[in-house]
Amino acid sequence: MAEWFAGYCSWLCDCYASFNGWLYGLQKEFTTAFIVDDRWKYILKGVQNTLILTFYALILGVVLGVIVAAIRTSYDKQYREMKNPIAKFFLWIGNAISKIYLTVIRGTPVMVQILIIFFIIMASSRDKMLCAVIAFGINSGAYVAEIVRAGIMSIDAGQNEAGRSLGLNYMQTMWFIILPQAFKNILPSLANEFIVLLKETSIAGYVGVTDLTRAGNQIRSVTYQDFMPLLAVALIYLVLVMFFTWLVGLLERRLRKNER
Amino acid sequence: MSANYIISVRGLKKHYNRGKIKALNGVDLDVKKGEVIVIIGPSGCGKSTLLRSLNLLEQPTEGQIFLENVDITDRNTNINLHRRKVGMVFQHFNLFPNMTILKNMTLAPIQLKKVKKAEAEKKALELLRVVGLEDRANAYPSQLSGGQKQRVAIVRALCMEPDVMLFDEPTSALDPEMVGEVLDVMKKLAREGMTMLVVTHEMGFAREVADRVIFMDEGTILEEGTPADIFSQPQHERTKAFLNKVL
Repeated sequence: MAEWFAGYCSWLCDCYASFNGWLYGLQKEFTTAFIVDDRWKYILKGVQNTLILTFYALILGVVLGVIVAAIRTSYDKQYREMKNPIAKFFLWIGNAISKIYLTVIRGTPVMVQILIIFFIIMASSRDKMLCAVIAFGINSGAYVAEIVRAGIMSIDAGQNEAGRSLGLNYMQTMWFIILPQAFKNILPSLANEFIVLLKETSIAGYVGVTDLTRAGNQIRSVTYQDFMPLLAVALIYLVLVMFFTWLVGLLERRLRKNER
Repeated sequence: MSANYIISVRGLKKHYNRGKIKALNGVDLDVKKGEVIVIIGPSGCGKSTLLRSLNLLEQPTEGQIFLENVDITDRNTNINLHRRKVGMVFQHFNLFPNMTILKNMTLAPIQLKKVKKAEAEKKALELLRVVGLEDRANAYPSQLSGGQKQRVAIVRALCMEPDVMLFDEPTSALDPEMVGEVLDVMKKLAREGMTMLVVTHEMGFAREVADRVIFMDEGTILEEGTPADIFSQPQHERTKAFLNKVL
């Protein structure tokens, strides 16, 4: 009995020792990855760049998306009834450009797009961040455009007629009546697009932007340790996405206050 | 074009599907200032299309519409300016659900007539008082009953101080017990001298308020006259058959 007990104790001690060793190893890895030479500053800079890139790309994407969606829907709804030949011509051109834009952007990988913009279209610019913002903004715009178009089409035609019958023009009706209602309907899809965009920026490192992913890689290339930097990068993305999801949830509840 | 007429319609046609469906097939109509016209007819006869053409919610295929002696079908006419003078009330109310009642009513005056916010709200509240809804000014449309919504829709149109009011089956989507409250508002409006064109199935309203009743069938005006003429001595077989069914 005593023998057995002693064996058990020593096994426990072994366990404890090896667990301690493992913990110590982790701690050491953590120190090498983030503390030595203030390497956590890489990560901080990376998070900052990822957020800046996502923010501006989102704004560019939403602006582009709303414009393209407005052109596409007004073409579908109004073109046949329009009387002014000049306006009609411009709407036709706008619609054609929008369609080509959607086809090309949605038909090619964002990775290729960002390389083309960096190495060909904006080859003379040395502002990597600007290139990335433009690439991701243009890419996101194509997806946002279709989301917004779906939102506009989801609003009852009577809303448009009511606005127009009061004398509001097309733009005013869109701005005051249709878009606010559409926005509420498409908020979940827009949030989804935003999350995708945030994570997609992880390829910005390919054109030299020090985003979160690249910051992790920089640490790995110095310390030759993969575990800690990669885990940290993944965790930070996760926390960011969870935070923004929560934020969108708040906004959604606020917008629904006029519904019973 | 006599200046007496606030609306004149000449040879109005509206075709769909490249002429396969003729919703309106040559309509002529003159409306005097202050006149109340009720348009009746079987469903699909083009009465709603006619009404919606009058502020170009439907673009006519052919013909002309003169609003206060201006041809609004002309491509150089700014239709937005003319729509301000033509109020419209819809079957399904079409209030803006994202705005309060007060905002629904003041949006167009503030945006288009550059009325000050306080002034526009004062006028809106006055109008709401007339229809007995001033205590609902800050409610959202979803918090109102159908009859209340339609009364708001009427005063929303009135906020733009229109010269003509168009009613497209204003009581068809209402519960029977709410029809009365909306018709009362319309009667009051008629008594105040508003020019009104009303598409409706409320024959009682037509009898009581209309100066002229128009019977439409298959995209044309088949018969028109005073309510007494139309309801007591209809000339056409089609009119008789229709009235037999609805009266």
